[in-house]
Amino acid sequence: MPRSLLIQLARLGDLIQSLPAISSLHSSLPDQPFDLLCAAPLTPIGKLFSGIQGVYPWEGERWHDLATMDGGHKERLVIAAEQYIADCAFPQYSVAYNLNNHPRSIVASHLLSKRVVGAGDQGPLRLSRPPWVTYLRQMASDRGSNRIHLADAFCGVCGVNPPAVVPTIQATHVDLPTDLAHMVNEGSWDRIGIVLGAGDGDRRVPLVAWRQFIEACIDRLPNGLCVLIGGPGEREAALALEDQLPPSYLSRLFNCVGRTSLPQLAHVFNRCQWVVGSDTGPLHVGVACGARAIGWYFSRARVHETGPYGVGHYVWQCRRSADPERLDVPSVKSVTQLPCSWPVMETLQLMQDQHGSENPTEWELWKSHRDEWGMFYMNGEQPDAAVLQRKNIWERLSAPSANQYSDFSPHSLIAGCSS
Amino acid sequence: MNVFQKNVAMLRCQDPALASQVLDATGGTLSIQAAKSGVPTAVVNNRSIHSAYDPLREAEQWAAHQANDCQAGEALVVLGVGLWYHVEALLGKVSQDSIVMIVVPCLSEFVDGLAVRSLDGWGERVKWVWGDPEHMATQVLQQGHRVRLLTYEPALSLHLELYDAFRFQLREQLSKRVSGALNIMVVGPIYGGSLPIAGYVVRALESLGHCVSWVDHSLHYPGYHHLGTIRDDRLRLTVQQRFSDTLGVISLAHVAEDPPDIVLAMSQAPLSMAVLEQMRRKKVLTAMWFVENFRHMTYWQQMIGGYDFWFVMQQAACLEAFKNAGASHVSYLPLAADPTIHQSVKLTEQERAELEADVSFLGAGYRNRREMLPALLGHEWTFKLWGNEWDNAGTLGKVLQRNGARIDTSTSVKIFNGTKVNVNLHSYTGEGFDPDGDSVNPRTFELASCGAFQVIDHRTLLPDLFDDTMMGVVKTPEELVPAIRKYLHEPEQRQVMAEASQQRVVMCHTYAHRMQTLLSTMGLACPDRIGAILQGERQAESLLARSRGCPELAPLLKSFPKTDRVELVDMARTIRLKGPEAQLKREELLILMMDEYRQEKRDFL
Repeated sequence: MPRSLLIQLARLGDLIQSLPAISSLHSSLPDQPFDLLCAAPLTPIGKLFSGIQGVYPWEGERWHDLATMDGGHKERLVIAAEQYIADCAFPQYSVAYNLNNHPRSIVASHLLSKRVVGAGDQGPLRLSRPPWVTYLRQMASDRGSNRIHLADAFCGVCGVNPPAVVPTIQATHVDLPTDLAHMVNEGSWDRIGIVLGAGDGDRRVPLVAWRQFIEACIDRLPNGLCVLIGGPGEREAALALEDQLPPSYLSRLFNCVGRTSLPQLAHVFNRCQWVVGSDTGPLHVGVACGARAIGWYFSRARVHETGPYGVGHYVWQCRRSADPERLDVPSVKSVTQLPCSWPVMETLQLMQDQHGSENPTEWELWKSHRDEWGMFYMNGEQPDAAVLQRKNIWERLSAPSANQYSDFSPHSLIAGCSS
Repeated sequence: MNVFQKNVAMLRCQDPALASQVLDATGGTLSIQAAKSGVPTAVVNNRSIHSAYDPLREAEQWAAHQANDCQAGEALVVLGVGLWYHVEALLGKVSQDSIVMIVVPCLSEFVDGLAVRSLDGWGERVKWVWGDPEHMATQVLQQGHRVRLLTYEPALSLHLELYDAFRFQLREQLSKRVSGALNIMVVGPIYGGSLPIAGYVVRALESLGHCVSWVDHSLHYPGYHHLGTIRDDRLRLTVQQRFSDTLGVISLAHVAEDPPDIVLAMSQAPLSMAVLEQMRRKKVLTAMWFVENFRHMTYWQQMIGGYDFWFVMQQAACLEAFKNAGASHVSYLPLAADPTIHQSVKLTEQERAELEADVSFLGAGYRNRREMLPALLGHEWTFKLWGNEWDNAGTLGKVLQRNGARIDTSTSVKIFNGTKVNVNLHSYTGEGFDPDGDSVNPRTFELASCGAFQVIDHRTLLPDLFDDTMMGVVKTPEELVPAIRKYLHEPEQRQVMAEASQQRVVMCHTYAHRMQTLLSTMGLACPDRIGAILQGERQAESLLARSRGCPELAPLLKSFPKTDRVELVDMARTIRLKGPEAQLKREELLILMMDEYRQEKRDFL
């Protein structure tokens, strides 16, 4: 049976957002074996994906070392690169589904498969892209009032519709440190995952906001247990946060930051009722593991493309991260300036199903919904025009005529874009 | 037949002349003793040449360490003979197609070895290099392979001078065989005496065919200078340091954009240790030409581990100090002139009126000059004093020209040309001549290059560069006035001497010569990274010849002119130029992939 390969070389968030595409591909081709190629550090999480048989690591460091080796023997470079690919022991692929528009992914897809679906499908040097990839690229650069979620657009890239059921990941058994195992397995706490990390500094929620949130959770949720989540880069911030909290609160705070592998993190998320934070990568992992999410999106993150996937999630989108009237027009200022206030109590109210009618000045609340065209977020009771336009977009981008690239322009599909 | 006779018989087949010399030579350099392990070992003046316990094990360790760097097809030249345990061990660890050559500095030592250690089983794989240093260097280079020097220190130290002479000859001959172009980034200072030298270095490297980028920090001088308005000393120094650090990061950004083969920094270049360490992490070779007196400017001590190569304008004590401080490579590299700038010129009438004189001095007002130059006043000659930093010049004030303004290079050249006797006194903060005066200042070379006559104070390194038929040399301040008077009355003699000094510069002392020496020194120390490029191994023709392991690359390599240097980026560019419809081969895809990662800059700064 010929095998297929799904290529996703981007970061954690994008990898998790590829789950719906994998799920839909698997549903439409149930007998087809699928493998996944992803960045080497993310392979442990890829192995948790159902519908995937083999996960292959793409080692950027190794390629970088090859590229910066002494270049006196070009043939040795090529032989070494070929050897690296041979060492990976890739099977023969009949098709590679490439989800990234980056040249590396395009070249990788052509190295590993004769046929490519997605970016680079017409050849490694062709500049034209299939309609869904063009749409995604346009969406990333121009924004606009798009309502097609990134995860659903990945489905479109692969030539399938959004999945009927939201896919999840279930952590397999992993060994946990004793205290962590105790926190995960014992007691009937309402565990609230708090994602401290955010990658870049300008996407980081100040510690004072987290302190207020934790204090509020512990004060008002009698059964609440706050679980700090983050990578080694956030270890110091987590310790500082613990220092700032009154000692009486510490018994209901658990610090996992920098202590968990990705499978362990999934295990922790499997036991969380809620996950709150601004870093979309861990938020997506939390949601895929079954937690409900409340995102605080204030930098470059935009609810419509990267809001948590599924039903019943919320995103507080900072108005200053875009034009106050229109989320479609980001301002440069917004990327570097933090909001003045944080939706601390409002988030707590959402967790208690007590949301009031008034939003905080700087923030706008969006709630996730889902229909046959995938995910969408609304900030009211009725879908707006952009939401309703998704059917039209899907039909136009997926129509056979759209694959004749020459006259395809995504501008007409993304309202608010200047063409 | 005993061991010696068997060895000579083998040598006779390989090198009859050497065998004949061996028979005429007598041993006695090495004292042969039994090591604890039972095999012979050698001692000279109570110093062991091989381990007194287990020479074989010691040799294995040496060879394993050396073999790490060796690459197939190289000429591995071993310096240090002894009883050649180390060579035998090396042969077992390097590729069969490597050529192993042993430099024999002394037949007596060689005979001692032949008497106790058999060449049987390995001797036929080595070439013995002997004779005078020039001849030995020629023998090594005749092989036509990339040369890698391997030193066995215990034996090498017996004949240091000869090995130094051999290395010098090898470097000189290599520098004349350069066919490949390097990418070199020259990082200059914000201001100061090394700034014009940076410019000369750039011109010289370009004239040698290398691709040079100059990170010219003098563009930032106005901003740096303005920081002098901060009155508080500590504040000012802190801000100046941060300014300098920022320029270092700017240099790093230039390196990230176009990684060069070598970053060559001039004295006072604003490269901090952090920047240099990052360059090392990114596999960029760094060199510093330290054109300062190491006794007066001591910042090199803090920077010593930052640069891979140091080039200094002083010898002996300086080289030792740098080595003791931890420099991995330090070499003597005197200053020079640029004959396209420092040249004979004719002055206009107007220029003659201002610039001509019987006697001139051009330079800054150091203490020793302030004390010696008044002696030149009140004589039968005209005397003009040029240069800056002559505040409170006293009696010299009346001969100070242009109110002590800084004199630019082109005016300097005219002054040199318009003066009958140029006085060249090296700077010194004490009285008279510097008792430790060794290095020769740039003005010496510049005057000579202009064909201008000079009277110069004695420097210990001067005779290696110019002899006393080329310039008047005075050993004490008292000799200065008589020497000037003597030469003023001998115009023909002055002309003969000046022309001789000018020829010497053109033959040996241009910045191009210095850069050839610098690069061949680095090439010898880094044969695979620099030497290979200098010898043309990255040229399309050479790459093609070595592409047998991957014949699919041949058509791509053939698309380049034979002598063009071809790197991954060039191959990737050519592949991309094939156009969108192109069907790429697997090898071409792999090159595109590697090029994508080559371009990665995200962790450079």
